[in-house]
Amino acid sequence: MLKVKGITKIFFPLVLNNLPFFRHPSRQPLVALSDVSFSLEFGQVLALLGPNGAGKTTLLKIVANILLPDKGEIIFDGLNSTKNGYKLKRLIGLVTNSERTFYWRLTGRQNLEFFASLYGLSKKQTSQQIEKLSNLFEIDFLDKRFDNYSTGMQQKIGLVRAFMHEPRLLLLDEPSKSLDYRCCLKLREFLKHEILGRQKATVIFTTHRWEEAEELATLYLIIKQGRVCGFGTQEELRQATRNPKASVKELFLELTSKQEK
Amino acid sequence: MRRVFAFLKKDFLQETSYRLSFFLNILGIFFNLLSYFFIDKLFGHTIVRHLEPFGVNYFAYVLLSSAFFGYAGVGLGAFSDRLRLEQQQGTLEAIVATPTRISVFLFSLVLWNLIIATVDLIIYLLLAVFLFRIDFQQINIVSCAVILFLTITSFSGLGILSASFVMITKRANPLSWLIGTLEGLLGGVYFPITVLPFWLQICARLFPITYAIEAIQSAVYKNYSLEKLLPQIFFLFFFSITLLPFSILMFDWAIRRVQKDGSLCQY
Repeated sequence: MLKVKGITKIFFPLVLNNLPFFRHPSRQPLVALSDVSFSLEFGQVLALLGPNGAGKTTLLKIVANILLPDKGEIIFDGLNSTKNGYKLKRLIGLVTNSERTFYWRLTGRQNLEFFASLYGLSKKQTSQQIEKLSNLFEIDFLDKRFDNYSTGMQQKIGLVRAFMHEPRLLLLDEPSKSLDYRCCLKLREFLKHEILGRQKATVIFTTHRWEEAEELATLYLIIKQGRVCGFGTQEELRQATRNPKASVKELFLELTSKQEK
Repeated sequence: MRRVFAFLKKDFLQETSYRLSFFLNILGIFFNLLSYFFIDKLFGHTIVRHLEPFGVNYFAYVLLSSAFFGYAGVGLGAFSDRLRLEQQQGTLEAIVATPTRISVFLFSLVLWNLIIATVDLIIYLLLAVFLFRIDFQQINIVSCAVILFLTITSFSGLGILSASFVMITKRANPLSWLIGTLEGLLGGVYFPITVLPFWLQICARLFPITYAIEAIQSAVYKNYSLEKLLPQIFFLFFFSITLLPFSILMFDWAIRRVQKDGSLCQY
């Protein structure tokens, strides 16, 4: 079970910013997340929805334990992120929306082998997983250098890295970004049958594709300016908005516009 | 160990993709030595008063200091340089996301540099023996090994502190500036510190490099045993046991700090 309790994150500029010489007017405190709480059972999929700058990536990074919150805590499978950081990281697979997290002068395979070692996979497990996942995502460019890849190809390598060690908690920041339609469908099938069906993992993903959210998610968390506007199943959100036939898109628009009012 | 080898393999693959840089490095060593050789020729290859304690001419002195500093000095610059590279590439965040302990990460970060520095050292020594006919027959191997080990550990402490600065301030690294100054002025790499005014000699004694250079010169050219090098060994040991744990704590704090302010992938 994943418990996210009262997460608050305020980005403060460095202390030096308070001194006259170092002061920079563009750097002001920014409340990225304010008291965000929710919990997920194993095998549940949460679609994290929100407009640009809502705090979705910040929340994923905090759950991934690469960004520390100012308040609140993350507990997954009984492991607290502050006390059991290393153990927790073993259980997490992360897809970031930046291609700058790979070594551009190495090939895709060399990159994946490097990260597989950091996740503690043996040589045999690594080659098996790379083989399996590259077949799935139709990757036939593993031995070309990463700097020759298109954005979509880089995204596919990012997905393989996140799935390779069969994590129990998957954090996917726009996983289908730049993927072609065929690969998007394969990714959804893989998530449904392998990750949720066989591995019974917990998944949190961000997306701006409504059909993707509706197809995969069992729960929705809608945030805006770091605050939760809505959390629950589609049915629960419909009841909350008193709109019994609303689509996810309509719920999103209604809940995020309510906060403005 | 698997993680350490993964870093080593990754650095090997990455560095060997810049082949020209490897050959330029060897050429650089050769031209450096040639410059020192001609400076020494200017003074008639004589043993001046300040070099009498070591019993060698300027060329032999500076060759050994440069070779030794290049090797043992890996600890000084490599931590911050490699960390900065990971920051600029954006891969630091991906590494921090994996279950890799800080001690493993730090050690792995500089392992490749240590191997390259060993190759450099061998090139220095081969050029010294076969081209410039430097006599290393007086060398005390045991003393050299102990001095080398203690120098690497004490320099690593400073290097990790320097990396902690880089982690937080990205470009501005006052410790790196200080280290650069030490190497040139106070460390005794290019001339014995006895050349310096008395008050600067006292300042020089505050830094491990001074003891390291003195000790290695005496161990290589005067066959000094560990017993004779006890004062230098004591200071290097002292620097190691104080700086290394402190620097690891500082690095741990620095990582937490950037994880807090969200600047892990900023450069």
